[in-house]
Amino acid sequence: MESKTTSSSARAITNPSSGAVMNNDRKSVIAMQLTDVEAMYGSFRAVNKVSLEIQARSVTSFIGPSGCGKTTLLRTLNRMHETLPGATVKGSIEVNGVNLYGASIDPVRVRRSIGMVFQKPNPFPAMSIAQNVASGLRLSGMKANKQVAEIVEESLRKSALWDEVKDKLNEPGISLSGGQQQRLCIARAIAVEPEIVLMDEPCSALDPLATLKIEELISELKTRYTIVIVTHNMQQAARVSDTTAFFNMGADRGGFLVETGPTTKIFTNPTNKLTEDYIAGRFG
Amino acid sequence: MSQALSNRPGLDFSLTPHDIKRRRVNQLALRIIQIAAIIAIVPLIAIVFVIASKGLPHLNLSFLVNGPLERPTGIVNAIQGSLVMTFVAIVAAAPVGIAGGIYLNEYASRNVARVGELLIDVMLGIPSILAGLFIYFAIVPILGHSGWAGASALTVLMIPVVMRTTQEVLRLVPAGLREASLALGVPQWKTTVFVTCRTAISGIMTGVVLAISRGLGETAPLLLTSQSSNDTAINLGQPMNAMTVVIYQNAGSSDPQVVATAWTTALVLFALALILNVAVRFKTVNNRIF
Repeated sequence: MESKTTSSSARAITNPSSGAVMNNDRKSVIAMQLTDVEAMYGSFRAVNKVSLEIQARSVTSFIGPSGCGKTTLLRTLNRMHETLPGATVKGSIEVNGVNLYGASIDPVRVRRSIGMVFQKPNPFPAMSIAQNVASGLRLSGMKANKQVAEIVEESLRKSALWDEVKDKLNEPGISLSGGQQQRLCIARAIAVEPEIVLMDEPCSALDPLATLKIEELISELKTRYTIVIVTHNMQQAARVSDTTAFFNMGADRGGFLVETGPTTKIFTNPTNKLTEDYIAGRFG
Repeated sequence: MSQALSNRPGLDFSLTPHDIKRRRVNQLALRIIQIAAIIAIVPLIAIVFVIASKGLPHLNLSFLVNGPLERPTGIVNAIQGSLVMTFVAIVAAAPVGIAGGIYLNEYASRNVARVGELLIDVMLGIPSILAGLFIYFAIVPILGHSGWAGASALTVLMIPVVMRTTQEVLRLVPAGLREASLALGVPQWKTTVFVTCRTAISGIMTGVVLAISRGLGETAPLLLTSQSSNDTAINLGQPMNAMTVVIYQNAGSSDPQVVATAWTTALVLFALALILNVAVRFKTVNNRIF
């Protein structure tokens, strides 16, 4: 039911190496296939017909000026967009050949496999550090205490927070600094073993040092997870991502995909004049 | 250099007549709001003082454990009646009010929520005797003047208090927490119970205590529903006494001994309400979330 060929959309220029799916070669596996995705807020079309492929086990960044719909598009990827009143999605997003917007798909299951880290660190204030990490497991029904303790440690190690919090796991999550809170949120997201992690400007509320730590962490996490990151910071996109998708706002104020490709190409030799102007800081 | 700067009018910091006038007005306004604050507190202190001075001389153990027909006379049945009817009422009102508040804030469409809020505000403003009158016509013909009828009237008055408070505190829970939970693949009902309500639990409990205080303090609806009784047995099927009703019935008596009973009952009621509120205040301050 799904054709894994490159989208024919003229705007979407995909990584040439991903034209064909090679199942045994992880590097070129397509994690997500977006076809004509549109996101609406009531009658306002915030994202216009986006078609693109997201490579597995790599970092894809969404860049573009404010209001171009990149966060909205990101939120369609794990069916969070529709949680807002009046928000709807058209088109298809296929993962492993299955359309996430198919009639028989439960959004709760989608979100279990596709986690999300938000712009503002948002640990649960009524929970301790350990409880925050364990929250996804406990609330989705995984109860064995010993197993949970192991996963908490493992997730905190993966998110490079373990050494800083191992002696105060029972203190409130909100007692940590902003950068630590964001790594706690990353630990919470990866504790439920998602395949894909979406990050919505995860460093925009952090200082440069905390940002650097998160960026290092993203580079490590991509060996295990597929990461899609929205960022306003072009240097960040250039530093952390393998593929970059550039969006812009159209005359109807709806966002559209201008071009996508390997990050090095987008930043050194973009195909589209708009991309070149944006990268050079001439607008946005 | 300094010579040149001092010539600039913007750098002249000496007081002008306007500055002096502004300072005087400022002082005057400060005094006025200080006096207003004192005026607001005076009745509270006066009430505590009068209740304590009139009630304490007659307060002793037999007053708390004896019935009204025993000698020395006591108000044990009124204490029992107030506590039992308030307890039954809050057991009924808290789940309904909390669930209703959750529905209005978490699930209802904007229009439904707006209409719901308006109805609760109307219910909050209803004079309590109307709740009594309603139960008098709806329940009393079936169950008679009884503890059940009294508790029903209190329930009607408590539900909007719990519901409104629940809705208000849930509104204060940041939307980001709900999103964080949903994005973990947690179903919406678990997000509501274990993230949203857990974050707001101290506020929700404050609403429940407010409702209990209201139940303990109501008089008019009980006069129409549970009436009063000299019986010391706890039987919700029969008319029941309440502390507020004892105060109402005894305060106007020509017998100073009976009036003293009213004052002492007032002291006991006041102490109960105070203990309840202070206990919850301590509990919620320690678990402060917002």
